[in-house]
Amino acid sequence: MTSSAPVIEVTVFGLSAGAVFGLLALGLVLIYRTTGVLNFAHWAIGLLSMVGYALLAKTGMPPALAAVLSLGVAVFFGALAYRLVFRRLNRANQLIVILVSIGLATLLSSLAQMILGFEAFTAIPPWLPVDDLRIGRVNVRSTEIFTAVTAIVVAFGFLVWFRASRTGRALRAVAQNREAAALAGIDEVRHSTIAWGIGSALAGLALLMVLPHSGGEQGAVITTFDLTPFGTLLIPAFGAALVGGLVNLPMALAGGFMFGLARELLVLAPKPWSDMRASIAAVLIVVLLLLRTERFFATRQELEALEL
Amino acid sequence: MSKRFGGIAALDGVDLQVQPGEIVGLLGPNGAGKSTLFNVICGYLKPDGGGISLDGEDVGHLLPYERVAAGLGRTFQHVRLFRNLTVYENLVVAQHRHLSGGSFSAMLRLPAWRRDERRARERVEAMLDVVNLRPWRDRYPTQLSYGTLRFLELASVLSLEPRVLLLDEPASGIAQKEVEALGPLLTRVRDEQGCALVLIEHDMRLLLSVSERVYALDFGAVIAEGTPDEVVSNDRVLESYLGRTRRAG
Amino acid sequence: MAVAVDAPPRNPEAEPRAPSATEGSGRRTRLIGLGLLGLLALLPIPFGDFGFFAGQYALVYAMLGLSVTVVTGYAGLISLMPYSFAGIGAMITGLAMASWGWPFWLAILLGALATIPFSVLVGVASIRLKGLYLAIATLTMANALGETFFQWGDVTGGNTGWLISRPRVGPIDFASDRMFYGLCLAVVLLLLWMVEGLRTSRTGRAMLAVRDNELEAQALGINVYKTKLVALVIGGMIAAIGGGFLAALLLNPTPSAFRPPFAEVTSILLITLVSIGGIDRALGAFFGAIALVIQQQVFQGAEFFFAFFGIYTGFTVILFLMFRPGGLIQIGKLQLALIRERPVLGIAVTVAIVGLNVGIAWLVLSLS
Repeated sequence: MTSSAPVIEVTVFGLSAGAVFGLLALGLVLIYRTTGVLNFAHWAIGLLSMVGYALLAKTGMPPALAAVLSLGVAVFFGALAYRLVFRRLNRANQLIVILVSIGLATLLSSLAQMILGFEAFTAIPPWLPVDDLRIGRVNVRSTEIFTAVTAIVVAFGFLVWFRASRTGRALRAVAQNREAAALAGIDEVRHSTIAWGIGSALAGLALLMVLPHSGGEQGAVITTFDLTPFGTLLIPAFGAALVGGLVNLPMALAGGFMFGLARELLVLAPKPWSDMRASIAAVLIVVLLLLRTERFFATRQELEALEL
Repeated sequence: MSKRFGGIAALDGVDLQVQPGEIVGLLGPNGAGKSTLFNVICGYLKPDGGGISLDGEDVGHLLPYERVAAGLGRTFQHVRLFRNLTVYENLVVAQHRHLSGGSFSAMLRLPAWRRDERRARERVEAMLDVVNLRPWRDRYPTQLSYGTLRFLELASVLSLEPRVLLLDEPASGIAQKEVEALGPLLTRVRDEQGCALVLIEHDMRLLLSVSERVYALDFGAVIAEGTPDEVVSNDRVLESYLGRTRRAG
Repeated sequence: MAVAVDAPPRNPEAEPRAPSATEGSGRRTRLIGLGLLGLLALLPIPFGDFGFFAGQYALVYAMLGLSVTVVTGYAGLISLMPYSFAGIGAMITGLAMASWGWPFWLAILLGALATIPFSVLVGVASIRLKGLYLAIATLTMANALGETFFQWGDVTGGNTGWLISRPRVGPIDFASDRMFYGLCLAVVLLLLWMVEGLRTSRTGRAMLAVRDNELEAQALGINVYKTKLVALVIGGMIAAIGGGFLAALLLNPTPSAFRPPFAEVTSILLITLVSIGGIDRALGAFFGAIALVIQQQVFQGAEFFFAFFGIYTGFTVILFLMFRPGGLIQIGKLQLALIRERPVLGIAVTVAIVGLNVGIAWLVLSLS
């Protein structure tokens, strides 16, 4: 009984990390499904949200407002990226598409760096309540719980909207069969832009969630010499997306939590296993790739749509 | 040369035999299983039953690229070429089977590589003239008309020097004048190369004028086989094309 | 036999497509390329010791760039881990020289051979994984290698790395910066010659074919799997050679450079810059290398330039990939053709392009 406290703490921490991965993965899957682009710049668009928030919050604006506005930044850049660039690419030429999205990642992360400036940013007011809580014997930070809960709520809301709304159905139609959707009068470009906008907003939210974790009560800290470490978020995000075969949204979210939990729970494992913390994501990804998860989740139509 | 095959739901007990140097036609309405048959012969699909042999040797276990080495060539319904390579380079790639150089001798530019390159160049220049593509030697496929692309595809597959050439709707998408030239061209190809041709074609005139024997397929099974005249006047074949109206009436 | 009547061919310049090895056509362009190379080779001289130091880096990065040329430019495989392969080369070279006392050349050879199992692993993965899955897989592998292989003290000499020295060939000692620069230059030119030679060969063309249209390549009898594997093995070995020379350049190679996130970032930067140079031409690796060295070494302390360079590079690579996938080399060829046909327009456009870039550079310098 006495050893259950650390398990709970680690689980909560894992869920909050997993929330970030899950949200990123949701955005990745939405964009990939609808437009066939695996967006290597996804994290960089989210980064712009984070930077936007840092700047806005410092001006004394209420943090919640700053958070919402900064999500708008992500939407803007995501939609712009699609309209200006990805729309004009032949999605069958995967090499070019990926090289372009990698270039975009370089561009946007450097842009974020430039905007942020070059001194260490301190004391960014948090947009989630930061408290240390103690429930029974368990020590958790409120941010962790809020992160996990917010992610679940937002993701759930998004999934419901995606299933039920007209726009959501239109997006699914575009994903499955572009020509048929066009014949049915669905504007492919408009809906693809929507997909990129929402997907990027999810990335922005994910990066915003990273912020409250990096500091103490006084707020978050960003050392600006290099924003590129945030790029490593992409790996568990891809992994989470792979859990759903790159096309299934709920599984992508679940996959995010899975990756988060796997990494954190290993801390509790006996010695040889706990050293694998850093590489567990890689191991899981290899397994997922071998399983060819897209077989389970993508209809034949969708697979063909993505190949063409 | 014989090819025997049977078994998939899309192909039900289809038995196809091709003699050396023969021109065989395959006809049948859409969905009859003609392209599926080609895909199985080439190795892109696994048959559920039956086998494929070339000159008495079983080739069913070979991968698609290995069957090319065994003497099988094929063109596709939609022309597939290398868009980023010129006509000349497309043809050099097609020489792959006849060259031997390894990457090591290439990188060090050893004499073996030089010999390879010279041989490739000679053969391609010759092929350019045979198929009359010389004016477009340095052009890219996107700059050519569909008819010329068809000729390029034919040239590529002829470069393989196949013993059996499978042609999947060679006349589709090209102008009438060029279709008329295609018949004699195919016969000439057979005469000069000595290969057998198996032809899927919807253009009846071309198919019947060029083929020496014809198989008719419907619903994955052979419903008739024989000379063009025999097959064309076969009741079941007519029925498969005209539908089941007779029964209704 | 009747000849098909064609529509008149469209203007080749309007096609946003990378020109490939138009065989036997580039005599003049080849000479110009060599001339440019010669100029570049002499470039460090006015900059003194720093020039040679940066020059060595550029040459080492050029070797790495050539690895990208073969794997991605020729065979079209999206491998996001060239720098990790270089790391393997660097660490094994260091290990062999410092721990076992091996001579430089033998150590480099061992480093190159050490990459083969990894290349094979990626190759096996590549048959089952479509392009973008391969990208994920190699990114993950770079990350995993960084967390495991490059943390093992036995291989990396601990966090302090290895201490090695530059090679001697007979009476010639390559220890000094200038001499080592010369050695690197010779090796790079040799590799350049080899990689360019690969292009006009059966194997090289098979790679280009596989990149262009895998199904058609198969239909022409090409063993796609073997072709990809060969590309990966060659690419891995070239990267490892570059890594070995990087080790000798640093004299004290440490594993920190090959750990996440730096390893992935550098790999990605390398691929991006080679794309700008021209991903499917060996010479393109050169431009990529020079650009990379400018960003990393010249701008190292100046974050503003570093960030600006990232923006500029990202923007350029997107533009190029969309409209001129052959990179600077394609643009160079088109410009030369334009100058030949319409000299006034050609020179005007060239001046405009160069002027624009110089203007941007001046603007950035004055803003900082």
